[in-house]
Amino acid sequence: MSTESQTSFSPKRMASRLLRRNISGARIAGFALSDFIGLLIVCGALMLYIDSRPLWDSEDSFIRTDYLVINKRVTSANTMGERRSSFTPDEIADLGKQPWVRSVGKFTSSAYRVDGSVDAGGRGMRTALFFESIPDEFVDVARSSWHWREGDAEVPVIISRDYLTLYNFGFASAAGLPQMSEGMMSGIPLRLTLRSDDGSRVIGASGRVAGYSDRLNTILVPQSFMDYANSTLAPGADPDPSRLIVDVSSPGDVAIDRYLEEHGLERAGDKGASSAAFILRTAAGTVMGIGLLVTLLSFFILLLSISLLMEKNRDRLHTLLLLGYPLKTAAAPYRRVVAAGCGGAFLLTVICLWALRLTYLSILSNFGETGSGIWWGTGLAAVLTLLVAAGNFLSIRRRVESAWGLKRKC
Amino acid sequence: MQRIDSITLSGLLPRVFISENIPPSEVWRSPLRFERGKTYLVEAASGGGKSSLAAFLYGLRDDYEGKLLFNERDTRTYTISDWQETRRRHIAYLPQELALFPELTALDNIRLKLALTGDPSESMALKWMERLGMSGRLDYPAGKLSIGQQQRVALVRSLCQPFDFILLDEPVSHLDEANNRIAAAIVAEEAARRGAGVIMTSVGNPLLLPDAVRLKL
Repeated sequence: MSTESQTSFSPKRMASRLLRRNISGARIAGFALSDFIGLLIVCGALMLYIDSRPLWDSEDSFIRTDYLVINKRVTSANTMGERRSSFTPDEIADLGKQPWVRSVGKFTSSAYRVDGSVDAGGRGMRTALFFESIPDEFVDVARSSWHWREGDAEVPVIISRDYLTLYNFGFASAAGLPQMSEGMMSGIPLRLTLRSDDGSRVIGASGRVAGYSDRLNTILVPQSFMDYANSTLAPGADPDPSRLIVDVSSPGDVAIDRYLEEHGLERAGDKGASSAAFILRTAAGTVMGIGLLVTLLSFFILLLSISLLMEKNRDRLHTLLLLGYPLKTAAAPYRRVVAAGCGGAFLLTVICLWALRLTYLSILSNFGETGSGIWWGTGLAAVLTLLVAAGNFLSIRRRVESAWGLKRKC
Repeated sequence: MQRIDSITLSGLLPRVFISENIPPSEVWRSPLRFERGKTYLVEAASGGGKSSLAAFLYGLRDDYEGKLLFNERDTRTYTISDWQETRRRHIAYLPQELALFPELTALDNIRLKLALTGDPSESMALKWMERLGMSGRLDYPAGKLSIGQQQRVALVRSLCQPFDFILLDEPVSHLDEANNRIAAAIVAEEAARRGAGVIMTSVGNPLLLPDAVRLKL
């Protein structure tokens, strides 16, 4: 077994010297470029989508989706006082009798004035607010964070996510104030001053944002706090509720819409499909679809290039196998071409993803987010690269087997 | 894989011959056993299926009826890697069409095989080339050599591996008698050294090996 040939000529090198003839560098570069473009579009879109999601969209865990908020449709008639916009006890009882209703809760409005103020970036801000409350069983928050007893220093509040968006993108940038993430907002204490209508009684309290809701366009406080404040500041006032929260057995039931229609009611806060998150998701989905298509096309470019190359080298391949070369050795030069093309495109993609991330990282960090999108993007790029490479490896193996001749398994 | 001590043909017949009335044959449709250490000469007119026999024995084709056994194992059960190992370690083959790479030099064609098998040494192969008068042609691209010269390169290449049997499909059809005798001597020495069997075919110009069992195809 001692030969000088073994040291200077490995079968792999000899085979690759023979089989790499006819390789078109331009074609492989063309593949790598289109694969790179495709991967960058798909993975870049995914990364941007994931990184920007916290700014737009998070799960609304406070109000379950099978709770409906309903109110009377506001028309000129009820504005003029001819029809009441609030619900009478009879109307509430009638609603409670409907077969699709599990339970009905009333919104209680504040019968007093509320001033809220915060210290933001050294500058004070104050604004008039209003509160509403719903029975605690409709609020899906751990009991520990959603409760208030007389004497408690802090009042938890749930605000509409729209308010934060309005502040960040409408008010803060115009007023030169810093933008705030949900996490930051929750950490800032809210000073609340509650006054009776005549100003004779005052309650001071400290508020803490306990959560954000997409489905409630209001500021919610615990029922116990609302009852305490109403009885202290506006004793005797017990206005009929203008909004109800209804636990329904099936939110999509047509009977619900029919009932609402007949009684001049409407669902509130059901933004669903029209929300910014939906638009963002659709846009990201479309862009990713285009990227996937480009990646798929580049896959076929590589598949065809390799097939063409192997077809040109078919006789050489056949002769190598005739000499007893293992199929793996004969396939190796083509596999290396695929690996180089795919690996190059992958590396370039990852580099560009990081560069892209740097461009918006500073904006993101304003919101206290670091963003896990880069890992998703890189992961997806790796998965797609592996798929493209695996598909080509399979095709190479088939072609080598067909050059071997007989239909046999390895 | 084990050493191949015998190759058994049992009712073997190329499918193309099934509907034809073929003349009586000592190979087709007959029980036949090739044994390691012996020399066989399969003689036939052209079109008799000599190359088909070689292709069946080397796993290049399997369009035959009947059975072909290496030792006692049916070769239809061989996987691709079984065949590839057989080609590297157990059966050497000089195809009639030679199957050289025309763009490689004579020496590189031989090295291509040696790189794979590592047995015998390159110096041994070079000695065979010298005996066949090919020393001055080592660096010529195989495609530029005459058919007779190419046949000598292909013969040396076929010997560059361990083998239990060597199949030589018309190995000296383009060689003069002097070169035929040198080639025969080399094949005989190498077969003896390895204890291998030789199966050669011819249409009338056989490799001049003594004591060959002659079989009419």
